Parts: sequence; C-alpha cells; structure tokens
Amino acid sequence: MRLAIVSTYPPSRGSLNEYAYYFVEHLRRKLEIDEVILLTDDLPDGASYPQAPDRVRILPSWRFGAMNNALRIRQTVEQIKPDAVLFNMQFATFGDKRIPGALGLTAPMLIKQMEIPVIVLLHNIMETIDLSKAGFGGNPLMEHITRLAGDLFTRMLLSADMVAVTIPKYVELLEAKYKARNVMLAPHGAFEDAPPPSIDLHPEVLRIMTFGKFGTYKRVEVLIDAFQLLRDHLPDTSMELVIAGTDSPNATGYLEQVRTRYAAMPNIVYTGYVAESDVARIFSEATIVVFPYNSTTGSSGVLHQTGNYARPAVLPNLGDFAELIQEEGYTGEFFAPENAVSLAAAIRRYWENPDKRRQDAMQNYLSSVGIPISEVVDWYLLHLEPLLQARVEQPAKEKPQWT
Amino acid sequence: MDMNVIANDNVRIIRLSGRFDAFETPATNKWFETNVSATESRIVVDLSGVNFLDSAALASLVKGMKRCREHGGDLVLCNFQQSVRIIFELTGLNKAFKITDNEEAALKAF
Repeated sequence: MRLAIVSTYPPSRGSLNEYAYYFVEHLRRKLEIDEVILLTDDLPDGASYPQAPDRVRILPSWRFGAMNNALRIRQTVEQIKPDAVLFNMQFATFGDKRIPGALGLTAPMLIKQMEIPVIVLLHNIMETIDLSKAGFGGNPLMEHITRLAGDLFTRMLLSADMVAVTIPKYVELLEAKYKARNVMLAPHGAFEDAPPPSIDLHPEVLRIMTFGKFGTYKRVEVLIDAFQLLRDHLPDTSMELVIAGTDSPNATGYLEQVRTRYAAMPNIVYTGYVAESDVARIFSEATIVVFPYNSTTGSSGVLHQTGNYARPAVLPNLGDFAELIQEEGYTGEFFAPENAVSLAAAIRRYWENPDKRRQDAMQNYLSSVGIPISEVVDWYLLHLEPLLQARVEQPAKEKPQWT
Repeated sequence: MDMNVIANDNVRIIRLSGRFDAFETPATNKWFETNVSATESRIVVDLSGVNFLDSAALASLVKGMKRCREHGGDLVLCNFQQSVRIIFELTGLNKAFKITDNEEAALKAF
C-alpha cells in the first residue's frame, strides 16, 4: 500500500508534528506498507527537510497560512497517485486566520472527489474549541459566524470515508449533530514503546516543567504566579520552573512577552524549541509536569508523554481532560483553571507527598503503555482494508480518471 | 479476568470472563504469540463473560487477529455483552472483525 499522509512533520514546528513523527516511524515498518508519502508543510526560509527514513518520501505540499493549500495538496495527490490519503490534522492546521485556515479544511473533500479513500484523524472538533482562547476570537458576531462556518467545514471533513477522533465524546457529538455514521474512536497511543521507567522524581529539587506550544489555550502566566507563591511558601526548597517549547503558531511572540514581563523572577528556564533527541531528558528531569491550560482543543499528546516518562501530572479541572484521564486511566492532582493559588496548592500537595507522586507516576506510565502508537497504526490499516477493497471492486467506469 | 482455552477440531476457543483491560493483556498477548502458528491459526474468542474492555484489550485482540491472518487463519469473536458491543461500534472495529452471536456460528465462520 502506498499511503499519503498530509501533516506537519519535524523539523516543521507546526502542531501535531511529533504525533506525525511517531505515527510514520511505526507505519513505515508495517508489512502492508510499500511507501509512506508525507505531504508536509513548506519549511520557512526555503529550508529543506532532511533525508527521509526508509520507505518514506517527503513532499512539501502546503504552507501554513496560504490560501491555496487545498489545491496544492490535490495537485500533489494527482501526481503521486497514492492508494489512500490520511490527514493528521486539527482545525487550525492550515492557518491561524479564518479564511486560509478554513480553505485548507476543504482538502479532504477535494481528495475524496478523486475517489481516493480518505481518512481524517481529527485531533479536535469545532464544538469544543474556545474560539477566543484558540486565537480565533473577536466580537460575538464574528464568533457566531466562525461557528457557522465551522459547522460547514465540519460537514466537509465528514465527507471523508472515515473520521477518526480520540475522545468518545467527540464521536457522540459528531453523530448527534451531523448525523455522521463514519466517525470512529481511535486511541491516541503512546509515542514510544516506553523503556522501564525511572521513578526517580528528584527529591533534592522541585523542578516544575510545562511542555508544549504556548500562547493560545496553553498560557504560562498563572503557572509563573503559582511558582512565585511556592517560592514564598517554601523558602527552603530549591525549585526551578522549566517552560519547554515555543510559541503556538497562532501566538507569535507570546513567550518573549512573558520573558520580558517576568524578567526579574529567578529560576525560570525557557528552553525554546525542544528537539526530539532532548524530549526524554526534559521529561525525565522534571519532578512534576504541569498543564497550564485554560481550555482544551482535544486530547493531549503531552499527557501521553508524561505517562511515557512516568511523571506525575498537575492538571486543570476541565471537561475534556477529566474525561480523557478517566477513560485512559491517567491520574493527577487537579487545580481550578486560571487560578494560581489552586495551582500552587496542587503542586505543593504532590511535593509534600512523595509516595503519591511515585504511585501516580507509575499509574500514568501503565496507562501510557496500554496501547503504543505502533498498535494504533494497525487500527488505521485495518480500517483502510475495506476501503481499498471497495475501490478495487468498483466497476471500471467508476474508477478515477487520472489526467 | 479468567481465561479458558478449549480445542474443537482444528479451532481453539478462548473463553474470557471478567474485566479485560491493560492489566490482563500481557497474558492474552503472550498466548497469541506462543500458540498461534501455521497449524493453529483458527481462533474463536468468546466474550460472553466480559463486562468491560479497554483500548489495550482491543489492541490485544487486533494483534491476535493479525497474527492469525498472517498464518492463514482468522480470529472470530462471539457472544458480546451490550457494553462490549458499544465499544466495538464506537471504534469501528466491528467492521474489521468477524463477529457472531454464539460459538456455534463462530465455528462456521472460518
């Protein structure tokens, strides 16, 4: 099978790049796969992608924020003639402005019109996005119009042969609102076949770490305020706050503003972009991983990584997270979103209870290895089988006409 | 979770009961790895006693099915409780497996 995947991919720093990296890494090793063709975003400043691994070809085919992404992707698909196309995406994959962002979402429908099997792995859905916090805010009228447009583009996405989501509630919502019958639940999967965990949670120093792309719904101000409260309450404790990651594409310059605003506060480390090779160290050195989210736009890859590296998590008490945690077996200390006092108290509860930290870290680890991404990939291959079979069985006159 | 295996001609029937989750899948995974071969690749999994299964359990069954098919056989599921049926429908895996109402029908499905 020659499978095209439309996605970001490292070294692109776009959302879901890490997920794509691990997904492709396991997919390319499957017996069913002859070639994975990655239709990635253009790298900035004319940079090139490094050599692709075996059985993987990288074809930059779209650019974040461009108007013509769907057409470019369609043209590339016409040229490479894959057996099927999988989109690894969320609503803001193609742009941080409404029009380019929305136009990109028509790509699955355009490919489907070519009668090529299409699966969309949708990491968030419009109905659960807080538009203002996700960078698409504005006045209430604009938000209303954006929602209506979101409904329209959701319907377009649902024209794919199959739409995979990672939270059961999303399946129910899409089935109820759009009468969709082609939505399925697929586990997110753990990024790595995790090694035996080290539950060394560094008792000599309280190293609080947050990881991600910041500035929209992941914001660090409350975390920094909580860090200050902890410093005040625990003056004899050696502690460090590590803010690992970069700005969200929708919030360029955010972390620089934060750094300027809190320049006087000591013991805060801004790592900037974390290369794949440094991810394990960043997590392993953390005593506690904090999720300073004020809303969620889907499941959290960072939560799975936290489990992979056997770390305890401090989590916002948000609906999606609570559901994800319950259903996938994760645990943590919870805090009221956007409340520094509550966050500081949650961190302190963990810090003062090493046994609970270890116990929860182990639970997160066991949950994360429940199903590694190498096995999630098998589910997609299983779902593709009948789609490809149906295509083979089409009468000749209905087969796609390549021009 | 309890796991009982019985032989029926050239088909193995695995009867599972209880909670089928990440803590139980090492045993089922190991069973598939050890016992599925070119001569033993027709498996029926009777889930009548299973009242809960999670994604790890589904993954274990997928792994078992793939292994059976690689060896020229198949893995057929039967006797779903309602809660199990819902999970299979939610994940779309009901379309990937052969699923029957009872063991007798499962044995005829090969």
